[in-house]
Parts: sequence; structure tokens; C-alpha cells
Amino acid sequence: MTDLTTQYLILSAILFSIGLAGVLRRKNLLMLFFATEIMLNATNVAFAAISVHLGDLSGQMFALFIIAVAASEVAVGLGLLILIYKKYGTLDLDNLSIMKG
Amino acid sequence: MSNILTVLIFFPLIAAILGLFVSQKSIRVYGITVAAAEFLLSLWLWMSFDTNEAGMQFVEKLKLIPEFGISYYLGVDGISLFIVIMATLMTLIGIIALSVKENLKNMIITLLFLEVAMVGVFVSLDVILFYVFWEFSLVPMLYIIGAWGGDKRLYASIKFFIYTFAGSLVMLVGILYVAYAYYSTTGVWSFSLTDWYGLILPFSVQKYLFWAFFLGFAIKVPMVPFHTWLPYAHGQAPTVGSVILAAVLLKMGSYGFVRFSLPLFPDASVAYITPVVIIAIIMIIYTAMVAYAQKDMKQVIAYSSISHMGIIVLGTFAMNVEGIAGSVFQMLSHGIVSGALFLLVGAIYDRRHTKLLSEFGGIAKVMPNYATIFVIMTMASVGLPLTIGFIGEYLSLLGFFKVSPLLTVIAGTSIILGAVYMLSVVKKTFFGPLTNPENEKLKDLSTKELTALIPLVAIVVWLGIYPKPVLGPINNSTKALVQLMHKKSITPKAQEIILVSKDKGVNK
Amino acid sequence: MESYVYIALFAPLVSSLFAALFAQKPKVQLVGIATSILIGAALVASVILLLDIEETGKAVSVNLMDWIVVGDLDTKFGFTVDQVTVIMMTVVTLISTVVHVYSNYYMESDKSFNRFFSYLSAFVFSMMILVMSDNFLGLFIGWEGVGVCSWLLIGFWYHKKDETRDVNPSISPSWAANEAFIMNRIADLGMLVGIFLIYWNLGTLKYTEVFAHIGDLSHAMLVGIGIALFIGAMGKSAQFPLHTWLADAMEGPTPVSALIHAATMVTAGVYLVIRANPLYSQIPEVGYGIAVLGTFVAIFAASMALVNRDLKRVIAYSTLSQLGYMFAAAGLGAYWVALFHLAAHAAFKALLFIGAGNVMHAMHDELDMFKMGGLKKVMGWTFLYMGIGSLALSGIYPFAGFFSKDTILEVAFNEHTYGIWFVLWLTAGLTAFYSFRQVFLVFFGDERYHEIGAHPHEAKPYALWAMAPLAIAAVTVGFFKEDFVEFVTKFLPEYEMSEHTEHMVVILTIITTLVALTGIVVAYLKYAKGLKRDLEFEQNNKIYKLLYNQYYIPVIYDRVFAKPYKELSDIAWKEIDMQVVDASVDGIAKFVEKSGDASRKAQNGNLSSYLNWMAAGLVFITVIAAIAVAVQ
Repeated sequence: MTDLTTQYLILSAILFSIGLAGVLRRKNLLMLFFATEIMLNATNVAFAAISVHLGDLSGQMFALFIIAVAASEVAVGLGLLILIYKKYGTLDLDNLSIMKG
Repeated sequence: MSNILTVLIFFPLIAAILGLFVSQKSIRVYGITVAAAEFLLSLWLWMSFDTNEAGMQFVEKLKLIPEFGISYYLGVDGISLFIVIMATLMTLIGIIALSVKENLKNMIITLLFLEVAMVGVFVSLDVILFYVFWEFSLVPMLYIIGAWGGDKRLYASIKFFIYTFAGSLVMLVGILYVAYAYYSTTGVWSFSLTDWYGLILPFSVQKYLFWAFFLGFAIKVPMVPFHTWLPYAHGQAPTVGSVILAAVLLKMGSYGFVRFSLPLFPDASVAYITPVVIIAIIMIIYTAMVAYAQKDMKQVIAYSSISHMGIIVLGTFAMNVEGIAGSVFQMLSHGIVSGALFLLVGAIYDRRHTKLLSEFGGIAKVMPNYATIFVIMTMASVGLPLTIGFIGEYLSLLGFFKVSPLLTVIAGTSIILGAVYMLSVVKKTFFGPLTNPENEKLKDLSTKELTALIPLVAIVVWLGIYPKPVLGPINNSTKALVQLMHKKSITPKAQEIILVSKDKGVNK
Repeated sequence: MESYVYIALFAPLVSSLFAALFAQKPKVQLVGIATSILIGAALVASVILLLDIEETGKAVSVNLMDWIVVGDLDTKFGFTVDQVTVIMMTVVTLISTVVHVYSNYYMESDKSFNRFFSYLSAFVFSMMILVMSDNFLGLFIGWEGVGVCSWLLIGFWYHKKDETRDVNPSISPSWAANEAFIMNRIADLGMLVGIFLIYWNLGTLKYTEVFAHIGDLSHAMLVGIGIALFIGAMGKSAQFPLHTWLADAMEGPTPVSALIHAATMVTAGVYLVIRANPLYSQIPEVGYGIAVLGTFVAIFAASMALVNRDLKRVIAYSTLSQLGYMFAAAGLGAYWVALFHLAAHAAFKALLFIGAGNVMHAMHDELDMFKMGGLKKVMGWTFLYMGIGSLALSGIYPFAGFFSKDTILEVAFNEHTYGIWFVLWLTAGLTAFYSFRQVFLVFFGDERYHEIGAHPHEAKPYALWAMAPLAIAAVTVGFFKEDFVEFVTKFLPEYEMSEHTEHMVVILTIITTLVALTGIVVAYLKYAKGLKRDLEFEQNNKIYKLLYNQYYIPVIYDRVFAKPYKELSDIAWKEIDMQVVDASVDGIAKFVEKSGDASRKAQNGNLSSYLNWMAAGLVFITVIAAIAVAVQ
């Protein structure tokens, strides 16, 4: 079996960069959510790949943890998004700067 | 009663908490009773104090955090004993003379809390415990100035708090470093001061630690140029606040020099005599001049406090028994005298609601008792022999003369400049014709004020004529301190300057 | 004998405390009487001690208790009565008793009668400590104690307001009191330095121990100690340049001037030099300096007395001048001569002052001699007393001054310091002139007091009786010179005149008496027949104005020291303390506040920009980490 770890890690890096670019550039909260999900999954890929590479299961366990946490985060986060949308009528971050110092 | 020090600390604390349930009407009586009981306890401490023993007495030790060597460790020796008694005395006198009307209950409870901190600072032998009390003392004083002060009370109280707090944080870093150094050499953690006394640090370490501690103490003393919080604090504080601030809180700084800087870093202390003493001399002369320029009676006393604290610092850095014992005695004398002077200024402020010198003149005629006591305190303040003020000032100068005659002569101008500003206050306030019609109907001191002041007058005269009961224990403990410093010192210069007296004291 | 020491020392204290009990009450005659009796008791005790020491030749010592015991310093309240001390004690208590009795008359209508006696007795107590103490620190207690009592007594009439120098050269009693106190403090610093030097070099402050080991010290150290102690003496004895306070001290009640500022306190400096004779005899060059300064002060003060119109100031300048004589003698090593002149001077100068007090009372506190004249008719006794005093001061045979002052001149001659001799000789002439100028202006000539509407009267008989002992002393003291010498030279070094001087004594005496008589005759010719004022001379003559304005020294001190100090203090407070020190502290606080305010803008509430910053921070940290790894 050929070791594809390097390729997996490149994939993970590309995914993470896409996610990061999304986080930095997007102004819509929902899109930010998606971008962070992509970044989380990019790390999951990296965890799984390294776990296989080292023959250590704890990496894959960690990936499962992240999936679980991400799922609950989405559940709570989306609920909050809906509330924010109901309250302010927008999800555009430029209009949501009420925490200005 | 072997745990009398614990009682001294916690009795006012418990009394303060119980005081919350005492009614407004009887709070004054309650406060006086508690403070008097505390004062009697401290006198009892003195009575059972073994005056022939130079070391720590009434030692109590209880491990708090054994992993880091932090313990509840108390004890007094001749140096701290009388400062503790003075703290309880001045609290009592301050409460007796209280003239605030609103929130009297809060005031008395705050004063009792302050008393806890003051007693705690001077009896703590564990450095962390010391530091806790040291910082805790800021809080009641912040409240006293901030709640009962004058127009700029918030500015003054915050300045006081932040300034002294900043200094003590630097000191805290120093404390932690000494503890770490102790751990490195012995392998165990300890914050006990008596353990630290055995620690010999290399000079390269001492010099940084010396300045770290110095900053904390210098701001508290306060030494020029860190002194500007003091005139504001005094200017705004109510009378009782000024009395306790001048009498006790400033002494924490000078006590720190004697208790920490000298025995922990003897070589650095000797090496930096010149810069420290030059600062002290600047503070003696410069603040004496500033005091002379003041238009407000209370500010004169405030600046004169700084000037007198300069003499104390000078005596401390004399590195011989005469100077250090003199400076400890001067701490007491300055406490009594400046406390009394602040009470006197407070008495006139209560009557006229002004402290401006230009408002007065000729009031010796309408207030003869007041004038008499003021003049006695003035004479003590300028260091007249047979008053308490002479002995400390004389000994401090005498001690430092051994180190540097020239600097002593310059510092000695304080006896001239002190007379200049104090006599000018006396002249402007009491002498001359009674021109201001508002002063014509001033009432002389009331019974309450006399009750507070007459004990102080008695102490001023008694300790001026017969200082032995106080000076004896101070002398013993100072001799032991100087011997310790001499034994610990490693640089040849320190060996030479630190002068152990020929007469080794009672326990050789 | 010890009990007499205690009586002499503590009777004045008891007296003072007793009077203090009534300090705020209206006049209680008992206070005046009781204090006089108590001071009299001190006099009796002193005389008994004098007789005892005369008989046994041994000093009496007592040790009261420990005072300051610290390190190696062990100071006790110890008192020794030896030959010098007992002379001083007798002089002090004698004058004090007379002044106390006299004050009953002088202060009879003063509101603060009781307070006055309390201060006056406190002064006597301090003075007794000063002379009786057996160590330098005890001396310093008395030294400062008399300073405070002097401050209280000069400023006794504290309610008077400040005037300009033209109206009242002393400005006000309280001003003069402060001036005296502060000037003395300047000198006291010198004295303290002397004490410090003695302590750190000899380890003790007790006279006997100090003087026993004084020879062990290096010459330079002795010179240092000698100069430092003499600076202390200069303040108390009002030597140039610390002399201005003495004339201003005349603001105090006249009995105070008689007791403190003529007879006792101002001689404390001379006493110190006499007491420290083992020290000063080792350092003749310092002694010579003292003698030169004393000689200068003698003529300097006499010159100011020539033109002054103020009755009391003239006597004050003459005191200053006579102190100069004493220092000249002590500086030249003739300690007993200085002590003898001190004792004789105390008697006749107190007499003069008290006489001046009578005149003041008669003239309703007018002090200008140009407004008096012809008082001989109404005040015969006072005239007699002041005449005796002036004759004694001028050094006319057989009065006390003749014996004591002539000896000083002989000493100056004997030491071959002819310059000093000449100046002192000239001063003797000036002294005679101004003393009799005063006598003639006050008691002779036209009765100018009618113009100011005064009705002079003689003092009460008991006041006049009280003055009698002083007058008797002023006449007779000189005849006890031989006994005096024999008595004090058991303690003080003897002073032998050379053979050459012995031959010259008669001629010297004649020359000196001649110059004194000349002074008197000139004064008689100019003033006895009546006052003819030359206003143009008074207003335009530069020398007259210079002397009248005390060489402008008070004004110079004002301009050079007092005013600049005040201005510098103002600058220190307003410019440095407020503008620099406090402003920089506040500046730090403001900087923290401003920088917080500036960085607040980064908190714009926009999640997107926060995330951008976060990413930038992440990159930054990664780069730092990468560099750190690369470096390692």
C-alpha cells in the first residue's frame, strides 16, 4: 500500500485555506459558519491521515470528537442565527457591530 | 496568653463585623470601647514583653500552604513593638476625636478594619502575610479619603491607591524572587522572614532586589520624587484619615527599610547609601522649602511629614546602632507629633471650615489652650531637647555623621528649615492682632478634643525626658539587627561601614 | 551638698510650673511673690554651694537618671558644680531673683502677669541646666531651652502687629522672636556638629572624660571641634554675622532684656568657650580668630550704639560690644578674665536695663531718648542706679568695669596683639561716650517729654530696693578680684602677665581711663545742656545713616536670604513640585489613559475584522515560532 499521507495533508491544507479565505472574506454569518465547518473538516482529514500514518487510533477518535462537537455547535449556532435574523433582519456582519468599544 | 498577637489582629476584625449590628446612636461608644480595649491589649503586650530579649517574641507559627512554605507567622521585637502600640493608640485617639457627622458607623467600622491591617503589617513575620496586610491597608484608607474627603477626594484617593499599589507590585516581584532564590539554595520553599535572614545573596542579585523593594517602600514613605500623592491625600482626607496616614501608614515604608532592605540586602544597602541618602537629603530640604511656601495649614504639616521622613531614611542608612535606633524612635515621635498636629488642624477646620493661613492671625488670644498645645507640638516637631522630637532626630543625624559628616551637615539644615516653616505657621496663625472678625468668637478646645490631645502632649514630654522604656528594647533589637547585617555582609565595604557597637547588648 | 544642687536646679522648675497653673487666669499676685521666693531659694542654694566649694575646693556631682542610652552612647542627666559652674549659678540666680522681684513692679498691670512669670522661671531652669550639666548633650538641652524661653519672652506681647522697618526696626515682637530662634538654630547646627565630632572621636560626651582625652586627637580634628563649638557660641552670644537678633530682641519686656539678653543667656557662648578651655588652649590659632572676631564685634556694636536713639537698643549694642570683649579675653587664653568680666558685666548691665525699664514706665513705653531729658529731677534713684551702671560700663575706678575691662586690655597688650589692644582701647572710649550720651539725654538737659504729654514718676520703692544688690555689686565686685582669681584658677588655667606688662600696667590703666574720661566729657559737652539736633546732618551724612541703619545688615539679610528663600520656596512648590514632579506622575496616568483610548478603536464590533486580526495574529505567531525553531 502506497503512503498517501502527504496527499491527504495537502488536501487538508487546501480545504483549510478555502475555509480560512471564506472566514476572512465573507460577510454573511451563515457563510462564515460554512467556512468554519470546512476548516474543521480539513483538520479532521489531517487527523485521520496522521492517525493512519502513525498507526495510532487516538487521532481518529479525536476526529470523531470534532464531528460531534461541530454537530452540536451547528445545532446551537444555527438556532442563534435564526434568532439574530429575527431580531435584526440581517446576517451581514458589517451591520451587526453592536459590540463596538 | 501566648497567642496575644492573633488576638490583637482579630479582635478589631470581629469587633468591626459585630459593629454592623450596633445602632447608629451607640456606635461612637462602641468604637471607643473597642479601640480602647485593643490599646490596652497592646499595652499588655508591652508589659509582658521581655525587654532583655533582642529577638522575636510571642512567636506564633501555623502552616497555611506548606508546599510553598507560606505560613501564618507572627512575632514582635523591640523595633515593631512600639509601632504596634502607636498604631492602636492613634486609632483610639482618632476615634475619640472623630468629628464626622454622616455615616459615622461606616467610618468607625472602616477604622477598625484599618487597625487590623496596621497591626498585621507590623507583626507579620511571613512575607506573604506581610504583603497581604500591606495591600489590605490601602482599602480602608481609600474608602476613608474617597467617602469623607474634600472636593477632590476621588482624584486624591485614586492617586493614593494606584501610586502605592504600583510600587508594591514591584516589591512583590522582588519578594517572589527572594523566595525563588531561597528555594534554589536550600531546596525548600519558605516565605518566613527569619529563614530569609539566613540567606546570603550574591551582590549581583542583591542590587536588583534592593531597588525592587526600595521602590515599594520609597513610594510609601514617600520619598521624593514619589511623594506627590501625599499632599493630595492629606489635603482631601478627613482629620482622622490624615492622623492615621501620617502616624502609621507612612511608617510602613520606613519600617520596611529596617525590616527587609537592611538585613536581607546588607551589601546592596551599603553600596547604595550615597544615592539613597542624596534622595533623602533632597527630600528633607526640598520639602521643607515647599512646606514654607504653602498657604494651607494642613499642607504645611503634610510636607513637613515628608521632610521628617527624610531624617528617618537618613538614620536608617547610617548602618550603625545609633542611627537605626534613632530612626525607629523618630518613627514613633513623628507619628505622635504629626498625628497631634493634624488633629489640631482638624480642630480649627471644624470651627472655621477653612485651613488657609491667611484667614487666621492672633487666635492665641481667643484659643489659649489650643495655642499652647500647638506650640508644644511645634517645638517637638522642630526637635527641641526634652521633647520626643529631639531624640530621634539627634540620633539619626549622629548615626549618619559617622558615614558622611558633609552630608549630615547638609541634612542637619532641617533643624533650621523646620524652625522656619513651623514658626512661620505659628506666627501667622496665633500671633499678631486679631483682624478677622470671624475668628473673634472661636471656642477653645472642647473636652473631647482635649481628651484626644492631652495624652499625646504627655507622651511628647514623657518620652522626651525619659525615653529609656522605649529606647531600651529598640536599642537591643537594633544591636541584634546590626550584628546580623555585619555577619551576613560579604563585600569588604559593607564589613567596614556596618558598625557593630562595642557594647554587644544583653544577650551576647 | 547634693540637696543644694537639686534645690538650685529644680526650684526654678517648680516656680515655672506653679506659675503655669495660673497661666490663663487674670493676675494673681501670689504668683509673682512665690516665684520670686523660689528663685531666691535657688540663689541661696547657689551661694551655699559657692561657700562650700570655696572651703573644700571639690566639685559636687549628682547623677539624676539615664537619658539617651543607645549603641555606645550613654548620656545621663548628670550635673557637676565646680568653680566655674558655681560662679555662673550665683550670677544667674542673683540676677534672676532681682529680675523676678522687679517684674512684680514692671508687669503689675499686664494682663498676662502669671504667664510672664512662668516663662521667666522656665528660662532660669534652662539656664541652670546649661551651666550645671556635666556633659555636652546636657548643655545642649539648656542651650535650646533658653532659646525657646527667649522666643516665648521676646514674643511675649504677641498681639502687636507687624510694622515696616521705618516705623519699628524690629518689625514686631513675634517677628523678632522668630528671627532670634532661627538665627540661634543656624548656630546650633554648628554646635551639634561639634558634639557629633566629639562623640565619634572620643566615644563620650562627658566633660571630664572628653577633656582628659582631648590630647589624643589630631590637631586638625581639634580645630574642627573648636570651630564647630564656637559657631554654636556665636549664635547664642550674637556674634557677627549672627548678631542682628539681639537688638531686635529688645521687643521683649524690659526685665527679659535685663535677664536674658544682657546678663545670662547671651553669655552662654562665652561660658562654652571657658568651659572648653582645655580644647581651646590646644588650638591657639582658633583662639586668636575668636579674639579677632570678638574685637571686631566690640567696635562694630559700639559704633552702632553711638547714634541710636532707642534707649534699649543702645544698651543692647553695648551688650554686644561687651560680649566681644569677653570673647577677646577668652580667645587669647585668659579664661578667668573672661569669666570675671562676664560676672561683672552681668551685674551692671542688668542694672542698666532695669533702670531703662523704670524710665520706660515713667515715659509710658516711649523709647526715643530724644523725647526724654531732665528726668533727673523726678527719678533721682533711677538716675543714681543708671549712673553707677554707666560708670561701671565705662570702666571708671572704682566700679566693676574698671577692673574687668582693664584686665582684658592688659591681656591683649601682654599677648603682643597690639591691634586688638588698640581697637579695644578705642572701643572703651566709644563705650564711655555712648553710655553717657544716654545718661545725659535721659536725665539732663531740657525736659522734652512735655511735648509728648508724659508725666514721669519714680518707680515704686520695692522695685528700687530690688535694684540695690546689683548696684552694690557693680560698685564692689572689682575689689574681690584677687579672691575671684584664687577661687576660679583652681579649675581654670592661670594667666600670668609678663614682667614687661607688669611694668606697663600703670601706664595702660591711665591711658584707658583717659580715653574713657574723654568719652564722658565729649558726651557731656554735646548733650548735657540740652539737645541740639542737626537734622541736615542726620539726613545727609552717609556715615550717620550707615550706623543708624545698622550698616544696613538687616536689610541685606532680608534681601539676600529671607526674600530669595521665600521666592525659591514658591518656585519649588509651584514650578517644580506641581509642574514637574506631580505633572509627570499625572502624565504617566494620562499616557495610560490616552493609549487605552486610542486602542479602543480596534474594538469596532465587527466580527469579520476581528477574525482578520485573529488570522494575522496566528500568522505572526507561526512566523515567530518558525524563526525560533530555525535559530535553534
